[in-house]
Amino acid sequence: MDAEAHIRAGAETETPWRYRLDELAWRDLVDGLKQSHLPFVGVWCDGVDVHALFLPHGVQPLAATLALEDGRYPALSPARAVSSLYERMIFDLYGAEAMWATDVRPLVDHEVWSNTTPLAASPGPAGGHKGMIAFQPSDAWAAETVGVMTGIGPATGARETPLHTALVLDGETITRAETLSGYAHRGLTQRWKNSRVDDACRLSGRVVAGCSAAHQVAFCQAVEAACGETIGHEVAQLRVVLLELERCLQHLYTLGGLAREAGALLVSSRCMWFREQILTETAPVIGSRLLMDHCVPGGVNLRAATEIGTLCTRIAELGEEIYPTLVELWQGYAGLAGRMAGVGVVNSAVLEQVGLDGPVARAGGGDCDCRRDLRMYDGLWRFTAGRHDGSVEDRAAVLLDEIGESLRMLTELGPRLGLTAGGRIDLTYPDGEGVGMAEGPWGTILYWVRLQNGRVDQVFMRDPSASALLAYEAALPGQAVADIGLIRASLGVNAAALDG
Amino acid sequence: MGLIRAVFDAAFRQGGTRLKPVGPRWPLLLFHVDTGGCGGCGMELEALGAGAYDVQGAGFGFVQSPRAADVLLITGSLTRTMAPVLEAAWQAMPTPKGVICVGNCAIDGGFFPENYTTMGGLDRKVRIDLRIPGCPPTPLQVLEGLCSLFGKRPEGETSADHGAGSSTSS
Ligand code: SF4
Repeated sequence: MDAEAHIRAGAETETPWRYRLDELAWRDLVDGLKQSHLPFVGVWCDGVDVHALFLPHGVQPLAATLALEDGRYPALSPARAVSSLYERMIFDLYGAEAMWATDVRPLVDHEVWSNTTPLAASPGPAGGHKGMIAFQPSDAWAAETVGVMTGIGPATGARETPLHTALVLDGETITRAETLSGYAHRGLTQRWKNSRVDDACRLSGRVVAGCSAAHQVAFCQAVEAACGETIGHEVAQLRVVLLELERCLQHLYTLGGLAREAGALLVSSRCMWFREQILTETAPVIGSRLLMDHCVPGGVNLRAATEIGTLCTRIAELGEEIYPTLVELWQGYAGLAGRMAGVGVVNSAVLEQVGLDGPVARAGGGDCDCRRDLRMYDGLWRFTAGRHDGSVEDRAAVLLDEIGESLRMLTELGPRLGLTAGGRIDLTYPDGEGVGMAEGPWGTILYWVRLQNGRVDQVFMRDPSASALLAYEAALPGQAVADIGLIRASLGVNAAALDG
Repeated sequence: MGLIRAVFDAAFRQGGTRLKPVGPRWPLLLFHVDTGGCGGCGMELEALGAGAYDVQGAGFGFVQSPRAADVLLITGSLTRTMAPVLEAAWQAMPTPKGVICVGNCAIDGGFFPENYTTMGGLDRKVRIDLRIPGCPPTPLQVLEGLCSLFGKRPEGETSADHGAGSSTSS
């Protein structure tokens, strides 16, 4: 039996695509996963059960549920590397132990919280650690390490989210790298629990700035799926405008940072200037710069929805005026491409291993983009192939291409939208669960939401940042320590999204 | 937390005296620490520093070491994990020194008030020299806030006649 069949052989639940397995069947599933390519999304716990989510066909979810036995469950990390981050999070939050897990170090709880296992039925006592937390190396690190140990973060003075990267150096070359996270853990899982649906939506917009629209679109779709509602075509297209604008803005931000790291200050300020030009147009019409809180359950909330069509046309004009010269500048700027060439390669083998998608995967030869399967992109999205050798240079080129593609979609949307009024339908919230997804600037963002008694009962969120962290750790050995900023920024490693 | 309060209070300047002479030759140097928000306030600071706004011209600069800084610029709700890091940065700074909180998170916790992992914002925990509210505040609002330290407005447009600047997102 293949992995998918193992899941479908389980007992049906109230949710048509979720099946309940017993422990033996779950173990068979883990074995089956080792031989299969079934796309894995993540695993989470609700205190009683653990749930693992997969996407066998495009956007169709398939989930397996297992009751915890004595607070334990068989780990999925032996079959899916990225599961280890979810398993460590589950242990920190609930104290539920993943048996045969590949990594059992704490992820976000470093014994400084006011409760250990804060989400367990009876939370543990306060952590006893005082002062700064220390890096705890993995077994592999401890076994192999020779060289000078050093580290970067969490407070570097740069405008990045807090993360510590522990390094072993041989001269200027990194020989080993591992991360210490949890600095930005705000307890989202707990904050979402039993929250009002609108409040939960606002929280999802604050998981990680720069991807707020994508998070909120995915959250809202999950809620709408749980309600059995589909929003109208026009409102869906307004959401596409938010998503594609966000991609342009975020990619320009990333490129600006990359160019600065590479010493091309002129190119950097040109990227950021283009971004500000777009923002000057969009912020008054949409209502904010970072696109937070414009996608709401049942619709959209825009300051001037009827002007969105005109706005798209205006952005298209700006794009025509500025984008080609930016591309020319980027490609022709002496030393810029050379500075990034061959740096921080993430090839298809690593991508496959860590399960990373988005522009990083596309720049490494991966063909993945959930816009392909999302109905709201019908007739808009098209496949484009770009550079694919997986270096920082390739990733930057892909980001630049994607800005062009997003501008093209906005150009097409302008006349279609006309004087669309936007708005929002009133949802009543029945008990149930749903899944929603969107292609964010760094890859697929997925929400699973369970509603109960008219409120949000529980949320699971998948963001590419977990896989990006593993790719970052894998890409660093062999690289010059001076390139670490370039590599981090080009992979979309973000502690705010990762720590939750 | 008690420790932090003691450290901050003991070192704080009193009564709003100037940090040091300011002007083009004496830029006020800021050390930014993200203590655990969504990163949005940090992004707006980056936009502020990246050239479209004349933050250098207004007399401010970002530094990469607390030892070179005049002011600790904090964004994000303070997590228990970041608290000792923030404290170490503060202690590494020369005196006189000050604290600026940018964004609702840093001020009162914003969307992330106190729970098992966060201590919420710095309000009522330490003396804050300048609060710039918003979620996130726009770069222009941040710049105006910074300039208010010197009792002046940034040159050129102000947020009142700037469509983007007058909006907060919630
Ligand atoms: S104040 Fe708002 S934008 Fe700033 S870090 Fe907090 S949640 Fe993010």
